[in-house]
Amino acid sequence: MILLGEFALWLALPVGIWGAVAGFIGGRKERGDFVLSAEYCVYTVFFLLILTSVGIITAFLTDSFEYWYVANYSNRELPTFYKVSGLWAGQRGSLVFWALLLSFFSAAAVFTNRTKNREFMPYVVGVLLTISSFFLVVLLFAEVNPFERLPFAPADGRGLNPQLQNYWMTIHPPTLYLGFTAFTIPFAFAMSALLSGKLDSRWLVITRRWILLSWFFLANGIIFGMRWAYEMLGWGGFWFWDPVENASLLPWLTATAFLHSIQIQENRGMLKVWNMGLVTLTFLLTIFATFLTRSGLIESVHTFAENTTIAFIFLTFMGVMAGLSALLIAWRYPALKSENQIQSFLSRESAFLFNNLILLGAAFSILWGTLFPLITEGLTGTAIAVGPPFFNRVNLPIGLALMALMGIGPVIAWRRASRRNLVKNFLMPVIVGSMVVGGLFLRGVHHGMALLTFGLSAFVMTIIIVEFVKGTKARAHIEGEGHFLAFFHLVSRNRRRWGGYIVHVGVVMIFTAFAGVAFNREVIQTVDPGETITVESPFGHEYALTYQGLSSPRGQNMLRQAVALMTVERDGRPVESLTAQKVLYFKWEQSPITIVGINSYIFEDLYLILENVNDLGGAFENDAAAQRATFKVQVNVLVGWIWYGGFVITLGGIIAMWPSRGSTKTASRPKTKTGGERPALAVRS
Amino acid sequence: MKDNGKFFVGLGGVALVVTYLIWTGVSETMVYYLTPVELMARVAEDPTFHEMGVKVSGRVEQGSWNRAEGELLHHFTVVDLLDESVRFPVEYRDILPDTFNDTDIVDVVVEGRFRGDGVFEATVVLAKCGSRYEATPEELLG
Repeated sequence: MILLGEFALWLALPVGIWGAVAGFIGGRKERGDFVLSAEYCVYTVFFLLILTSVGIITAFLTDSFEYWYVANYSNRELPTFYKVSGLWAGQRGSLVFWALLLSFFSAAAVFTNRTKNREFMPYVVGVLLTISSFFLVVLLFAEVNPFERLPFAPADGRGLNPQLQNYWMTIHPPTLYLGFTAFTIPFAFAMSALLSGKLDSRWLVITRRWILLSWFFLANGIIFGMRWAYEMLGWGGFWFWDPVENASLLPWLTATAFLHSIQIQENRGMLKVWNMGLVTLTFLLTIFATFLTRSGLIESVHTFAENTTIAFIFLTFMGVMAGLSALLIAWRYPALKSENQIQSFLSRESAFLFNNLILLGAAFSILWGTLFPLITEGLTGTAIAVGPPFFNRVNLPIGLALMALMGIGPVIAWRRASRRNLVKNFLMPVIVGSMVVGGLFLRGVHHGMALLTFGLSAFVMTIIIVEFVKGTKARAHIEGEGHFLAFFHLVSRNRRRWGGYIVHVGVVMIFTAFAGVAFNREVIQTVDPGETITVESPFGHEYALTYQGLSSPRGQNMLRQAVALMTVERDGRPVESLTAQKVLYFKWEQSPITIVGINSYIFEDLYLILENVNDLGGAFENDAAAQRATFKVQVNVLVGWIWYGGFVITLGGIIAMWPSRGSTKTASRPKTKTGGERPALAVRS
Repeated sequence: MKDNGKFFVGLGGVALVVTYLIWTGVSETMVYYLTPVELMARVAEDPTFHEMGVKVSGRVEQGSWNRAEGELLHHFTVVDLLDESVRFPVEYRDILPDTFNDTDIVDVVVEGRFRGDGVFEATVVLAKCGSRYEATPEELLG
C-alpha cells in the first residue's frame, strides 16, 4: 500500500502535466478530445493522490519508521487518531494533503460542470492542473518527498510534538486547507474567462458558491485556530498576530472584499478589472500562506523546518502566476471596461467600494507588518520588527470602520441614496447605538474604544433586525402568510442576502468579543491544598477557587501528568470544578505541556492555568508532600462570543450556500446555453 | 460629476488614513530585531540604546533557568547562536511557554529592554525547541 502510494505520487506528475497541456491545447484549438482527456486527467490525479495519502496514512498506522517522515512525526504509542492526522502534521505530508484537497476540488468542479459552462472548462482544467503539477513538482524535487527512506529503520519514531496532540489538530488544519485550496477554483475560472475572452459576469455566477465555500472554510479554520490557541498556553491567547496567523487572515480579508465587490459587478457591471485583480490576489495569498509556513523565512510558532529550496520554488511560482495574471488582465483590459459609473458618494456601490478599500488596507497593513523584518533587513541590514501593538493599533480603527460599513452597506440604496432613504434606515439604529454607549458609560464602562465597538455593534444589529422584521412583515402582508412562515420563506427565497445578514451578525458578535479583552482580570497566587484564590469579574461575579491538591493518573501516550483540582464557587454557589494540568508526553520528557481548565459562562470564562508545581517530580510520583503550586486565574470577558459568532457565521454561510432553485436559474441565465450539448464538443460552440 | 469627485476624495482619504495608521503604528511600536552580538555592539556604540525596545533571538543557556520562590519571576541566560561567549541574563515576570526549558536546545526570542545594569527585562518570551521539530538520521538512531 505504501509503495503503491509512492508510485501514485510519481505517476500523478506526468498525468497532471499532460492534462494541463491538453487543457490549454483543447481550449486554444477547440479540440473536444483534448479537453475530455484533460478532464480525465483531473479525475486521475485526484485518484492517484488518494492512493498517495492512503499510502502515507498506512505508513503511519503500520509504524513504518524506515520512512523519514513517519519516524519524525509518530511513535508506536501515539493514538491512532493522531497517526491519521500525521498526513498533515509535518511539512511533507501537509503538501500532499494540500495537493489532495486541490485535486478533490478540481475533480468536483469538473464533475459539476460536465454538462454546462463547457466553454470555460478547457482553460479551467489547464490552470487547475498546472497548479496541481506545481505542488507535485515541489513534493518530488524539493527534498520533501514524504516517502523518503532512512538508511535504517529506527526502533521507534520521535513522536508527534505534544503541542499538536490536541483534538483541534484533526480539525483546524484541514478546515483551513479546505478554504485555501477551494479558492483555486474561482481563480481558475477567472483565468479561463480572461483566456477565452468570455468576460461578462458569468464566471462570477458560476464560481459564486465556490467563493463562498472557500470563505466559509477560511473563516471557520481561523476561528478553530483561535479556539485552539485559546486553549493552549504559550500561544498568546486566541490571537497573537503570529506571521502564520496573519497569513491565514490575509486571503480571508481579500476574499471578503471580493465577495462584496462581485455584487457590484453583478448588479451594476462595474469593477471588472478590480475583481480580476482581487481574485488573483486572494489566490496568491493562499499560496503565500503555505509559502510562509513552509519556507521558515519568518519566525513563527507554525513554521516547519527552514527549507530554502522550497522558499525559492514557491517565490518563483508566485512571481510567475502574478506576472501571467497581470499580463492577461492587461491584455483583456479594453474588454473589462465598466458598464456604469459611480453616481453618488451616498450609494451602496460606494459603501461596498469603501469596504473593499478598507479590507485591502487592513490586508496591506498586516502584510507589511509581517514582512517588515525581512524588508528592513534587506534594505538596511538590521531587522526591525513590529508586533501585536502595531497590528492592534492599525486594525482597531479599521475594524470599527468596517463595522460601520457593515451596517450601512446592506440598506443604503443603489446608485444614489435619498435623504428619506437615509433617515428612514439609519435614524433608529443610530439612536439605539447611542443609547447603548450612554447606558454602558453610566454603568461605569469608560474604555473609549470598547464603548465605540459596543455602540457600533448595537447599530449594526438594529439595522439587521429591522431588515428582518420589515421583510417578514411585508411578506406576511403581501402573501397573507403567518409571520413564522413568512420569515422562513423570506430567508429561503433569497438565501444569499439573508444568509449574508446572518454572517454579519456573527462577525459583529466576534468584534464585540474582541472589545471584551479590555476588561479581562487575572490573579497569580501560590497556594497549598485548602487555600482559596478569589477573583471578581467586571460583571460583578465573585469566583472562589479552593485548591484540593494534585493527583497523577496516566493516559495514553502520556508519560506522566499532574492534575490540580479546584472546587469553584460562583457568587457563593458551588459550580463545576476545574482541573489544570502539567503533562509529560512520551518521547518529550523535557517539556511538560500545560493544559488549562475553562468554565464558560455566557459573558465570561473562568480560565485556570497551573503555572508551576514546586516539586513536579514529586507530584508525578503522587507524593503527598509535593502539593504546593502556583496558579494563574483569569476572567476572560466576552471571549465566548467569538465561538458563538463562529456558529452564527457557519449558520449564515450554510444558508447562503445552500443550493436553491432560484440560483440555478440565475446560473443558466447566460445567452449561450450549452447545457444540452454533448460535453466534449461544446467547446466548439 | 460633483459626487464623483467627492467619491474619489473619499477613496483617497481612506488610502491616506490607512497609510497614516501604518506609518505612525510602525514608528511608535517598532523594535530592533537583533542577535545578542548585534545588541552588544549597539549598546557599546550608543548607551541610550538601553532605553529602546528590542527583540533579540538567541538560545537558552542550558542549566541557566531558575524561578524565584513564591513570586512569578524567571531568570535565565540567553547566548548568541554563533558566538557562545556573548550572553546576557534575562528577567521575565509572566508565564513561560511550554516549549521553554533549559535542558534541551531551545531557541528563544525575547522582547523587552536591555537595562543599563546588563539585565534584559523581557515582556515577551517566545520559545521553540529547534532541534525537536525534525531530526537528522543520526539523531533518530540514538
